Amino acid sequence: MIELKNVTFQYADAERGVYDVSLRVDKGECVVLTGLSGCGKTTLTRLVNGLAPAYYQGSLSGEIRIDGRDIRSMKSWEIGQLVGSVFQEPKSQFFSSEMNGEVAFASENCGFSGEEIRRRTDEAIRRLCLIPVRDRPLDKLSSGEKQRTAIASVYALRPKVFVCDEPTANLDEEGIVELAQTLAELKSAGYTLLIAEHRLAWLMELADRFVYLKDGRIIQEYIPEAVSALPEEERKGMGLRRVTTGAASLRSDSHIKKGTLVLQAKRLSKRNQKVKILDNVSFGVQKGSVTAITGKNGAGKTTLALLLSGLVRQSGGEVLLNERKARAACRRKHVYYCSNDMSTQFFTASVSEELLNTELTESKLKSARELLKRMGLYAYKDAHPATLSGGQKQRLAVACALFSGREILILDEPTSGLDGANMELIAAELRAAANAGITVIVITHDPELIECCCDNILEIQDRFDTPPWKCEIQYHREP
Amino acid sequence: MRAESAFSVPVKLWALLCVLVGVSFGGNVLLTCILTGFAFVYLLLQRNIRLVISYGCFYLLLALLLVAIRYHGLHMVVFSEFYVLMFWNLSAVVLVSWDLITTPPGELSAFLSRIHAPTALILGLLVVFRFFPTMRAELKGVGRSMKNRGLTAPKQLLLHPLVSFEYVLVPFLLRVLQIADQLSVSAVARCAERPGVRGSYYGRKMTYRDIAMIAAWTVVTVGFVFLGRRFA
Repeated sequence: MIELKNVTFQYADAERGVYDVSLRVDKGECVVLTGLSGCGKTTLTRLVNGLAPAYYQGSLSGEIRIDGRDIRSMKSWEIGQLVGSVFQEPKSQFFSSEMNGEVAFASENCGFSGEEIRRRTDEAIRRLCLIPVRDRPLDKLSSGEKQRTAIASVYALRPKVFVCDEPTANLDEEGIVELAQTLAELKSAGYTLLIAEHRLAWLMELADRFVYLKDGRIIQEYIPEAVSALPEEERKGMGLRRVTTGAASLRSDSHIKKGTLVLQAKRLSKRNQKVKILDNVSFGVQKGSVTAITGKNGAGKTTLALLLSGLVRQSGGEVLLNERKARAACRRKHVYYCSNDMSTQFFTASVSEELLNTELTESKLKSARELLKRMGLYAYKDAHPATLSGGQKQRLAVACALFSGREILILDEPTSGLDGANMELIAAELRAAANAGITVIVITHDPELIECCCDNILEIQDRFDTPPWKCEIQYHREP
Repeated sequence: MRAESAFSVPVKLWALLCVLVGVSFGGNVLLTCILTGFAFVYLLLQRNIRLVISYGCFYLLLALLLVAIRYHGLHMVVFSEFYVLMFWNLSAVVLVSWDLITTPPGELSAFLSRIHAPTALILGLLVVFRFFPTMRAELKGVGRSMKNRGLTAPKQLLLHPLVSFEYVLVPFLLRVLQIADQLSVSAVARCAERPGVRGSYYGRKMTYRDIAMIAAWTVVTVGFVFLGRRFA
């Protein structure tokens, strides 16, 4: 179905690309492309769906065939009818604010009759189990439902191949399970799947082969059993994520020093107009600990983080810092919030300025230099933050938090979409910060991050549960 | 449901044309209350009750101000008689245009496809409709991020206004480019570059209700222009 022969592609505006890649994916097969960030897996998906070189320009040599046809002889819409593409962030690719319009979009472009478009749209919505949420505005859907809507919109065209580029980057555990089921159904119906992904655990039953890429080249192909059999050290050395699913557990050597509660929430509530987002939430966090806040998408985790960091005012209850009641303005001086939206985080013209937009001293310069080196960003110190890759931006955002000098850091999904090596790097930095007395809270769906660096887990129960809100804290050891 | 009681796009366009003609050629400004009154009926028939109530309150206030200006010599410095009369005169246009631009983008694009408008125009329209809500969310994110990093302190804003402006503008513009890029990719991957006529999910046909409303707008507008000229 997909055949690449000695394909080399070099982007016109960057040094990255893929080199001498040969790959064959048969009909009904599911192949996963994996490897470190920047290894070329996204580029390969772009070559298969024709976006490179049609949209992402560059020089291409070698041969790419889809369903026996040379891709170079096909127009972009012909490829679109054959290869359906699902991207990382569905919400920024929606053309409509409601589901029918969005799912129908591709069929409308293909100029089918109204009746045919409605038939295909209804069938896609039914097939992707979206009927219960069909009348909801798209921005009110959970991230899993948004991703399924994105799949439905290409499914309506009945392509023969589905190409997914990191489809789980913004999904919680439940969203991932739903996505895995959907893709498994597509595969059993005979569709061919090509998935570029860091997280491997959810693909172990779905995938037929894993293709490991490094620096734009295919290094090795594995069957799932071979990936499972990789010794942990070797897997980590390759920068791969873990291959087993399961609930997050705390790191084995976690310990909590007895001491004062540096941050406390007491009966904290937040409503938006009439909607209760959080109600009656109480907990405490100890100095020098790393706490994970988990819960489903939409449970109110980010709202809780914004409340704690003083960026949003609570509707009821109070926040205590070092056992003293702290107003929002006071919290902003002591708590740093690192958002998961990298696009709105950086304001200056270079990576180094981003860290150093305060008064400069020799010791500060030195520690900034060291931090950038540890984060693998020193080579980019004069680059504009906007030119960094996604993973580099995430590392820079964490570096800004660590360098802020505030005693409490709250990080929202700091490792979503990161490969294993970068995830471990961030986990190690957070651990080191905690050992130096800084209190860290991470909002995360990433069980590996929790395992690597967290001392306790605070789980916010679904907000659709009946009140009072449950806010369960699982401590590894009683504090 | 509201969507089912809404009139089709040609009716909305015809209504807008009628109020524009009426307001432009009617001789008596005060009598525009006839057009505005009918615009309220038109909205009520589409069950747009929220707009009727909110704009109705504003219109009532304008009426009270007009009475106070005419019979009690009210003179306001900020919101002068000119503005009161201007809003009074243009109310029908405001209501009908608002109703048109809040039509689901899918229906507007379906109408444009039916009249064989170029695909580039239709996609452009869809992007514009998506753009504003997305941008509002982005600006909120930038503001929050600046607040978090202490860049919105009054001292910072007063001493470095240009730098602060740059802090908002740079990430905002970069994000605009990024979103434009992602939308283009998503459109190209979903066959948007295909030439020829675009299909449409909304296959709405004109109903008798729509035709009746077109006739009603025509009668009201002609009547208004005729009356306005007589009482000019």
